[in-house]
Amino acid sequence: MTEASLIDELPGELLMWVLIISELLVFGAGLIAFMGVRLTDPAGFAEAQSHLYRTGAALNTAVLVTSGYLAAQALRWRRIARRGAARLALIAAAALGVVFLIIKGAEYAGKAAQGITYETHPFFLFYYLLTGFHAAHVLAGVGILLLVAWRDDPRNIEAGAQFWHMVDLVWIMLFPVIYLLG
Amino acid sequence: MPATSSFPKYSRRRLPNALTRAWVTLLALSVASALLTVLPIPSTLLGGGILILALAKCRIILARYLDLAASPGWLRGFTMVMTGFALIIFALYLI
Repeated sequence: MTEASLIDELPGELLMWVLIISELLVFGAGLIAFMGVRLTDPAGFAEAQSHLYRTGAALNTAVLVTSGYLAAQALRWRRIARRGAARLALIAAAALGVVFLIIKGAEYAGKAAQGITYETHPFFLFYYLLTGFHAAHVLAGVGILLLVAWRDDPRNIEAGAQFWHMVDLVWIMLFPVIYLLG
Repeated sequence: MPATSSFPKYSRRRLPNALTRAWVTLLALSVASALLTVLPIPSTLLGGGILILALAKCRIILARYLDLAASPGWLRGFTMVMTGFALIIFALYLI
């Protein structure tokens, strides 16, 4: 099999896959750095982690995988010419993205009320950096989902959904490392 | 012309498709992760279990949501890299 044909096997646009791989590498490096710094103060990291709102984060996992499902269904429906259903699914996926951000915002507000900032402990520096950067991607993803719901060419929807699944994928690895591995 | 216009309607309405099965499995694995954290098990097992469940979820998203099930070589490659990442995280967790 030639290299060109292997690249052709990728669904959708090649540039979207370059973006997906780049983002996974960036977040992956951030998480490895987080675990590396944890070695300098495991007890402090465990104590800091106990202040996190795990239930909300777990709920957000369900919210994102459901939103991803709707985005994937939208592409499937658009391809079989169920245009209205596809648009509704994209709007619902975007709405769940907003739900994710509301839960995340409540979590940040809770930390602020406790006086916890990025300076409180190195754990929280990584926590705010990684979850904040991810939340920025969610915000961008919501806009992209709404954009492709409007300009609903199947190729647009595929690219938008792929971006959204990348956001989903990052959260699936970020959640256990930041919230659970104490 | 829609690609499935010749299919009987019931064939895609009554059977859950691979995507729906993937979504249900993802939710089930998320519940399993949450249950794992409340079980009285050693931290090594807990960490390993949580990472294995996360890897399983990643593979489902890659295969079904991102449609790499149709490109097995790429799915295998992504799975290997994600597994390597999880092993690094686990090793750092154990130190």
